[in-house]
Amino acid sequence: MALIDLIREDVVRVPLAANTKEGIIRELVQTLAAAGKVSDSEAASRAVLDREAKGSTGLEEGVAVPHGKTLAVQSLAVAVGVAPRGVDFEALDGKPSSLFFLILAPPDQSGPHIEALAEIARLCRSKAFCRTLVSSRDAKEVVELFQD
Amino acid sequence: MTKPIRRILAYVDGTEQSVTAAQYAIVLAKSLGAELFALYVVNTRALSELVKAHIFLDSEQEEYHRDLDEDAERYLNHVRNLARSKGVAVTAERSSGAVHQEILAKVREHGIDLLVLGEVSQIRSRRDELYNETERAMRSVACSVLIAKNEDRIAELFEELV
Repeated sequence: MALIDLIREDVVRVPLAANTKEGIIRELVQTLAAAGKVSDSEAASRAVLDREAKGSTGLEEGVAVPHGKTLAVQSLAVAVGVAPRGVDFEALDGKPSSLFFLILAPPDQSGPHIEALAEIARLCRSKAFCRTLVSSRDAKEVVELFQD
Repeated sequence: MTKPIRRILAYVDGTEQSVTAAQYAIVLAKSLGAELFALYVVNTRALSELVKAHIFLDSEQEEYHRDLDEDAERYLNHVRNLARSKGVAVTAERSSGAVHQEILAKVREHGIDLLVLGEVSQIRSRRDELYNETERAMRSVACSVLIAKNEDRIAELFEELV
């Protein structure tokens, strides 16, 4: 399953309500749970928070890619969130993060997990694309930008 | 007349769609009397990119590399078992590097006539970055490509195969 097929309106949050790192992660996991993609929100959040404890996935230019392996999903799941005002995600450049890609994968599907992360890494090289995503007004606009 | 399809390669990446593709490749190999190959590529290119992009920690790269090695073994064994259950011989191989380049190399190395892949994205994006490895292989490989669709029909065909 290609990344683009996973990004649908029900897994996109614009704007995110949370304003802390943990809150953002839990909100995005909850979004996936509401979309029927996560069976145990607490286990999934814990997997991502444990990974973040080893080192932040807050990159430069306001992008963060929190991810984790968990049995709480049956297949690769991706949520996208936008926080226009920015949230401290302990990013590499110390700046607030505004664009979040949360990825959950079952432990036996590392191939698709890695490929999805690599696709996001390639996308994030386009600063213009990321800026446009952050200025999206709603989930529909985000999905349209990916499918444009 | 020369057989149009003598060697078939199924690319397996750990997705359900790729396992369906492998089943279809087994059905085709048996029906056409073709030689069957299966390939899993440990995507070390992506692992390196993720460390470079600071998405992965060094320790995470090692952990995921081990996971990918295990996945390769598991999925190739699964294909071996599927083929064996239908009396089809399969050469199952693992390689590592950039996925689409490894597929291209195997197609050349074995003189593959037909590459069988799992479903590609139904959404066409103008963004090249969103082409996944399966789609890259489909676009760049020199031989004919078959995209396995309709999982239920393929499962039926596989079950019917004696």
